[in-house]
Amino acid sequence: MPLEIPKDKWPGSVRTVTLGAAAAEGGTRTKTVTIGGQTAMPYLHFEASPPHPPAVAVEIKSRPPEDWSPLLLEAWGELVNDPAAWAKKAEEIGADLIVLALTLADRPEEAVNVVQSVLRATGVPLIVWGPGQAEKDNELLVPVAEAAKGERLVLGICEDKNYRTIVAAAMANGHLVQARTPMDVNLSKQLNILISDMGMPKDRIIMDPTTGALGYGIEYGYSVMERLRLAALQGDAMTQSPMIVTPGFEAWKTKEAKVGSGVPEAWGDWKERSVNWETITAITLLESGADIVVLRYPESVARVKQAIQELMTA
Amino acid sequence: MQHSVTFTYDDRQAQVTVPTNTLLSEAARLAGVEIGQPCGGQGRCGRCAIQVTGGNVRRRSTLRLSTADLEQGYALACQTVIEGDATIYVPPQEKIERRLTTDRVVAEVSVPADYDYLLCQTVRRLFVSLPPPSMDDQTDDWSRLQTALRLQHSIERLTCSLGVLRKIGPVLRQGEWQVTAVVEYTQPPDRSAARLIDLLPGRLDEYAPLWGCAVDIGTTTVTLWLVDLVTGMVHAQVAEYNGQIARGEDVISRIIYASRPGGGEELQQRVLETINGLLERACKRVKSPDAPLTPQQIVKVTIAGNSTMMHLLLGIPASSIRLSPFITVVNHLPPLTGREVGLAVHPEALVDCLPGVASYVGADITAGVLSSGLDNAENVMLFLDVGTNGETVLGNRDWLVTCACSAGPAFEGAGVVHGMRATSGAIEEVWINSETLEPTYRVIGGGKPKGLCGSGLISLLSEAFLTGILDKGGNFNLAAPTPRVREGAHGGEYVVAWGDETATGEDIVLTRVDVDNLLRAKAAIYAGFTVLAENVGIPLESVERVLVGGSFGKYINVEKAIQIGLLPDMEWSRFEFLGNTSVKGAYYALLDWRKRERITHIARRMTYIELSADNTFYEAFTSALFLPHTDLNKFPSVAEALSRTHKKSEEEAPYATRADTNLS
Repeated sequence: MPLEIPKDKWPGSVRTVTLGAAAAEGGTRTKTVTIGGQTAMPYLHFEASPPHPPAVAVEIKSRPPEDWSPLLLEAWGELVNDPAAWAKKAEEIGADLIVLALTLADRPEEAVNVVQSVLRATGVPLIVWGPGQAEKDNELLVPVAEAAKGERLVLGICEDKNYRTIVAAAMANGHLVQARTPMDVNLSKQLNILISDMGMPKDRIIMDPTTGALGYGIEYGYSVMERLRLAALQGDAMTQSPMIVTPGFEAWKTKEAKVGSGVPEAWGDWKERSVNWETITAITLLESGADIVVLRYPESVARVKQAIQELMTA
Repeated sequence: MQHSVTFTYDDRQAQVTVPTNTLLSEAARLAGVEIGQPCGGQGRCGRCAIQVTGGNVRRRSTLRLSTADLEQGYALACQTVIEGDATIYVPPQEKIERRLTTDRVVAEVSVPADYDYLLCQTVRRLFVSLPPPSMDDQTDDWSRLQTALRLQHSIERLTCSLGVLRKIGPVLRQGEWQVTAVVEYTQPPDRSAARLIDLLPGRLDEYAPLWGCAVDIGTTTVTLWLVDLVTGMVHAQVAEYNGQIARGEDVISRIIYASRPGGGEELQQRVLETINGLLERACKRVKSPDAPLTPQQIVKVTIAGNSTMMHLLLGIPASSIRLSPFITVVNHLPPLTGREVGLAVHPEALVDCLPGVASYVGADITAGVLSSGLDNAENVMLFLDVGTNGETVLGNRDWLVTCACSAGPAFEGAGVVHGMRATSGAIEEVWINSETLEPTYRVIGGGKPKGLCGSGLISLLSEAFLTGILDKGGNFNLAAPTPRVREGAHGGEYVVAWGDETATGEDIVLTRVDVDNLLRAKAAIYAGFTVLAENVGIPLESVERVLVGGSFGKYINVEKAIQIGLLPDMEWSRFEFLGNTSVKGAYYALLDWRKRERITHIARRMTYIELSADNTFYEAFTSALFLPHTDLNKFPSVAEALSRTHKKSEEEAPYATRADTNLS
């Protein structure tokens, strides 16, 4: 008797979201990225293949990063002093998206300039993060949103205590928003409701459920993402946004990636270990439903893209 | 088409001519008749009720009016349009201060109908006449008294303390062997065993008051009722914040404080001071023609309170309550005396501490179940105690399950910047005009406001939410077009009353921190009962009645409590507000030994469900930490109210313009 694999049929699906706008849509991107649209749990091809592959984003900063691992600085070299060149390089090595993180030191006009120069240097869609301090985020992201009107940027990071200004700026200028909540299904849902209540179309919201690196709480992040995805497939409209996560940021915070000396020899080669940490974190998160993974190390991009290709093959 | 509308108010009349479909409220404005519209003319508050005494009108909404109101011709001025000539009676302002159909007011305390001092009371005053001793009868005083009580009152076994023994000789002689014994029957209904509480010279008036008191020791509020045990009547009701608050707001921090050297003694002293202060206050309230009443005349005290409060009152180490496996030292306490406990009452007074169920379900809940009548209910009912510890009991006369969660003191007005107890000067109700965002409030006692009590906080939170001052996450919308929403020390805040209208001269505000505390409190309570109901597989819809206890005011507006997601979204008629159910239960137990036994029985048969055993409570809690709830489908009436508020403000704008045109 042939074995029949039971198949789940879900009433809901993940919302399809497009980042970036080409000239025809009022932007300047040569490529746009569409994510979401899944109607089954991740990569269960016998139920339904995902209509779009997940995207890999590379994180760059408006100013040379001060707290990054020496391995990252070594890998990008002089590029860290020139965000436009850095972004261009990232695109060349396969980044589908660029994340440009602004810093506290940036003034509004500098932020606008750096965003525009990165847009000129690249053809892929852009995600712009404020420095992560409510007032400063609002001060920088509002002029950026206006200057890049129509580009369908993703503006972030919205949190429950500070989302109104960013959402309003994104709505007025045709951008998307990244909504971050601290590893909790209900909180993700709540922030989505708050943002939608302002009138933001739901297909312009990307959820950031927050995660941890391998060995540093990834299982919590994994479980939250899995439950968000299950809720989405069950038809809960407020959990149907695609998900963005930051394995690069998380992995490069760990001691294993950050520290090269004074660690047990059994840990092996520093660089190899660090890249593994970042890629395994990223791939694990893809398996739990991530639609965008934000990476930092150049070599990780190729490895994760390879894994995506394999995951997308039925 | 034009119509003539005549308004009668304050014995005066005003007449105006308006076109068809003019709102009554607009016609009144044109006629110069003032009709308050606290909610901004959205038909939400019911404060603009007027009486149509004749003519043609059409009521677009009657949301706030009962059938009886409608039969008497009442209509909401802001929701009623003119379709023909009409005559309108505008009731005076105080009549407009009517209760809403959604208000649930605590009933006045009344002596239970079945109370009979001679049958129910365990503490009694007995007149005894003793044969004087002589050279022929050299029986000692104590034996003589025992014998007299046996012969005259069938008391076979009489006990007493050394303190009383020291007193009997002089009293017997002072009364010339005619004395009044105050005794406690220790094993009711058996009248053959008794303890002598006091001996007084002479024969006292049989119907003179015999004083007892019922006490509820809440984590935040202590409540005391002074009762005449002969008639059963409550002569004074007093309440005060628990003096222990200064050493921690919740039971956990109190237990931690108590385990420090000297901490337990300090907490014990603090709560005793609170109770003794209340005893003084209560006694002063009793007008006595002869000597003033003193606490020392109180001979019976019945105490309810959560398990931690009971332990701390009695100086019993409470640390095991906090640590796994979370057990108390004692749930069923033996009878104690005033002297042992340290109360300012009669030193030999019976101090009866009611029994609890578990560490986090104490005597306040067993007493609450008794006074709510849940343990006698035929159908399934839900009892919620909206206090610092949000306890929930679900069940009927056949079964009772219970759980507890820490809600915090916000609904008792503590832990809120301008919070206060529900006493004179507290704002107990707020309406916010959804167009101007201006508030209208009602103050207990009618004077200038001093702060906000629990019911005021509930209605303020709900109004701020419905009018968009707060978003669903409890964030203030700083872009709201009113100076009342402003940046405060810890985020946004809303000014309910400006300094020049308050008793203190300070602005009364609701801050972001207050909102967070209120949200946590309501989320804990909501999560508690939903998880409990899920645990036993009872859908909330099948709960026949929801009995709400809590000392946050004299009444609760059910609709507002639903709008913030504190109470489940059910028909308003299924809710009943009982006020402080714990002190009421203690009062019943104080009067009647049968009720006291029923509490013991309740404590023994309640099943306790530990919420910390898995993460379902936490999940339910975070999803309830939103206005009204993350899942709006659970609150259909709130979803409707939200869409109504938004739609109304859009709809009515063009109408106002039309009326203005007609005026010119």
